[in-house]
Amino acid sequence: MRTVSLTVNGNPVDEEVEPRMLLSDFLRHELGLTGTHVGCEQGVCGACTVLVDGETVRSCLTLACQADGTAIQTVEGLAPDGGLNVLQRAFQENHGLQCGFCTPGFLMAATALLERNDDPSEEEIRDELSGNICRCTGYTGIVRSVQAAALQLRDGTVTASEGTAE
Amino acid sequence: MTTSLPIDHELHPAGAQYVGAKINRVEDPRFLRGEGRFVDDISLPGMLHAAFLRSPVAHANITSIDTSRAAALPGVTAVFTGQDLEAEGIQPIVSRAFLPGMGDNLREPLPTKKVRYVGEAVAVVVADSRYIAEDACELIEVEYERLPAVIDPEGALDPGAALLHEDLPANLIGRKSESHGDPERAFAEADHVFSHRFVHGRVAGVPIECRGVIAEYDRGRGGFLIYSSTQIPHLTRSVAAECFGLAESDLQVIAPDVGGGFGIKAHPYIEEVVIPFAARRIGRPVKWIEDRYEHLASAVHAKELVMDLELAVAADGTFLGMRGRYNANAGAYGCFPQTGMVDAMCAATLLPSLYKVDHVSYEILAVYTNKCMTGTYRGVGWGAGHTAREVLIDDAARALGRDPLELRLQNCIPSEPYRSVVGMNYDGGSYQESMEQARDALDYDALRERQAKLREEGRYIGVGFSPFVEPAGFGSKAAAAVGQKHQVTYDWGSVTLEGDGTVTVRMGFHSHGQGHETTFAQVAADQLGVRMEDVRIKYGDTEGVPYSTGTFASRSGVIGSGLIMRAGGDVRDKLLRLAAHLMEVSPADIELAGGKAFVRGAPDTARTIKEVAQYAYFGPGSRQLEGDMALTSTRSYDPPESYSNGTIAVVVEVDPETGKVTIERTVAIEDCGVMLNPTIVEGQVAGAVAQGIGGALYEEFVYDDDGNFLSGTLLDYLLASSMEVGPIEVHHIETPSPVTDGGIKGMGEAGTLAAPAAVLNAVADALSPFGVTFTSTPITASLIRDAVAAKREGEQ
Repeated sequence: MRTVSLTVNGNPVDEEVEPRMLLSDFLRHELGLTGTHVGCEQGVCGACTVLVDGETVRSCLTLACQADGTAIQTVEGLAPDGGLNVLQRAFQENHGLQCGFCTPGFLMAATALLERNDDPSEEEIRDELSGNICRCTGYTGIVRSVQAAALQLRDGTVTASEGTAE
Repeated sequence: MTTSLPIDHELHPAGAQYVGAKINRVEDPRFLRGEGRFVDDISLPGMLHAAFLRSPVAHANITSIDTSRAAALPGVTAVFTGQDLEAEGIQPIVSRAFLPGMGDNLREPLPTKKVRYVGEAVAVVVADSRYIAEDACELIEVEYERLPAVIDPEGALDPGAALLHEDLPANLIGRKSESHGDPERAFAEADHVFSHRFVHGRVAGVPIECRGVIAEYDRGRGGFLIYSSTQIPHLTRSVAAECFGLAESDLQVIAPDVGGGFGIKAHPYIEEVVIPFAARRIGRPVKWIEDRYEHLASAVHAKELVMDLELAVAADGTFLGMRGRYNANAGAYGCFPQTGMVDAMCAATLLPSLYKVDHVSYEILAVYTNKCMTGTYRGVGWGAGHTAREVLIDDAARALGRDPLELRLQNCIPSEPYRSVVGMNYDGGSYQESMEQARDALDYDALRERQAKLREEGRYIGVGFSPFVEPAGFGSKAAAAVGQKHQVTYDWGSVTLEGDGTVTVRMGFHSHGQGHETTFAQVAADQLGVRMEDVRIKYGDTEGVPYSTGTFASRSGVIGSGLIMRAGGDVRDKLLRLAAHLMEVSPADIELAGGKAFVRGAPDTARTIKEVAQYAYFGPGSRQLEGDMALTSTRSYDPPESYSNGTIAVVVEVDPETGKVTIERTVAIEDCGVMLNPTIVEGQVAGAVAQGIGGALYEEFVYDDDGNFLSGTLLDYLLASSMEVGPIEVHHIETPSPVTDGGIKGMGEAGTLAAPAAVLNAVADALSPFGVTFTSTPITASLIRDAVAAKREGEQ
């Protein structure tokens, strides 16, 4: 067993893990953060995407012990007050999800994109999100959602982390 | 002609305010916060974890299985094989024959004698963790006696072919021929006959959530609790109950949030029997979560068809006749409930589509082969057959020197209700108008000019049209229209006004992306005059909702809405009587809207529906009313045939050197009658189109000649990303169905059904200077590049 110390959504975590345990399984089954989904465990679909020190990482291809000393953000950390942040709200308003299974991965990938670039073109959005597969939406609603969120962020009326109570 | 019924205005009250509105989905927040509850998010006390050992060979007798080393691994609770299930009398899953000469297909939950495809489950390990269970699978020793693999559907019926099922005389699932009109004469008299053999690739829905099952056995009551990622909890319960010899209500099947289905989860599976069996034997809950390899190798595949089509055309371009032969490479087992015939039957019965053609014949057959069994995938064989037909029509147009859209318009049926020569009763639509609207949306003439100009610069763009009819609202009459008279669908639902004035709708139609919690709340709110936020839609739990055949074949919107209108109408009548009694007026004078009951024309008289409901439940005065006053009603609905229609047009640019296809533009004209929620319609179209694009260009399950499975990862089976799909524009035409409740038509599949033909036709149009045409899917970059190179070589 290995000891890992990290923060997840700002909360300190100290746990003993088997060296072979995947980060996705650690988050989901050890910490109960089941919002991060597992779609392929082949590093292709992107459903398991989380942010490790701000960078998008496929948690199904990462061992939990590799995350020692890092700060991880998952979908549960996007709007800690139980509401929806700007990006999440934009997904609802632009029909950016259907079955909702790939959605957490897209939200994390889009969060990372908007942190770097608050005025991405449609082409840039499509390119940046091409590591995530959605089988329901045809991506139309997802691209529109990210564009809508970016517009709001540029307006300066809201910040990326600002939650909106329902 | 059509069985025409007028719209019942009692069922579709005037002043509807939610139906037709673009309303944001009410189910979204839980998914956006990561609070959806999918099977793998559920944990039961004392739960163990299962992994399956799966066959690495396509066809073999099992001579021995030694599980002793696996069972001895620390952390392993038990290992089970087919012998264990057989010893306890677990019955096979039966796919019943429904044609003369067809045999029942019996599938043991785990095989006792032989394996028939790579990926077939052979044994199951139950352990403390999935990690240990997978370790133990590697310690199971199976001896196989290899048999020749049957892979080619055209050779499957050869006398020398190895037999998959020894209880059947041949590898034939079923065969059927039909002839309508006088096709022999039509072809004899035709000025032109166009024909091709078109091979449609083997594809599947491939949802991002794989399947999964959790089972718990209640020893005291002798029943099961089963969670499953399925589109059809009630059918799953029916099949599992039969396998265990239990009464249906001894099993509670819950489909929680489900991460996509697309038809692949519309079949009961052996794991839904094996995992409950393991839970019963062990006495603890057992969870199995399908991994991606298992999903790709062993959840149903679809649409692999060899199609020989012929089109008879008069000198002026009039379509005189069509002939088709459809051979489905249906894999190793029958697939309940449709069997492996589903793709071939659907492809054949939609052969005339929206064309006025009076002479049609077809032969359909499906054969067992040593590949994964085939079942349903969005658009089913309708899509495969559609692609083959529409590609042939474009080939014919090129040969005749005709514009492909103009040729289609010339042969298109009128927009009024129409009975096709094979007996399908189209309920009217906008067959020609949708083509014209697509043409106008593209600015067709300008596009052709741009195409000519770019060709001079050595760039190749092309446009492809794919007008469609989509059989939808799949009830027993629609099933019969595609030749599945055996498939009786059965759906009922209830509407209840609770004592707090909220409304609860209970239906068996599972929602796994379709947005039922929103659309059905719209329908119920309109029917009862309540606010949408006061409606709750319940589904997914066989203990909590009435029976339904389930969500597939674009059926939920039509049938579910009809159920709500019918049951809601009953409750509405009682609500009116109660309000009238409370307000001391006649029920005929009461109007219900916005959560209030008021005397028509006098809104200040309003009592809230909550007040009326409380009066009903708790007000002693309400007991003076005569008759049954239960504020609930359960109704069934089995709609007539109904068909959506539309046109998909795709503009592509093709690089003839690399074969790379770039989708520049996709225009989808959709006519699904009265729209419940245009936002959701547009989402369904876009998603379906994206899957169609994937099937046209990238997706295929590949087996080698020995039956080895070569598509076990998402790096092999390629799903289109946001880069490949490109923008999709959706335009609406709204032709209410004259036959369904509320004029609604189902619309989930057309994009997948019709987009591949548009893509293939666009690529062939782009490459028409090279004379390249296509007779298979997918048309991968390498296939396109090789086709161009072959034509160039031929010229030299």
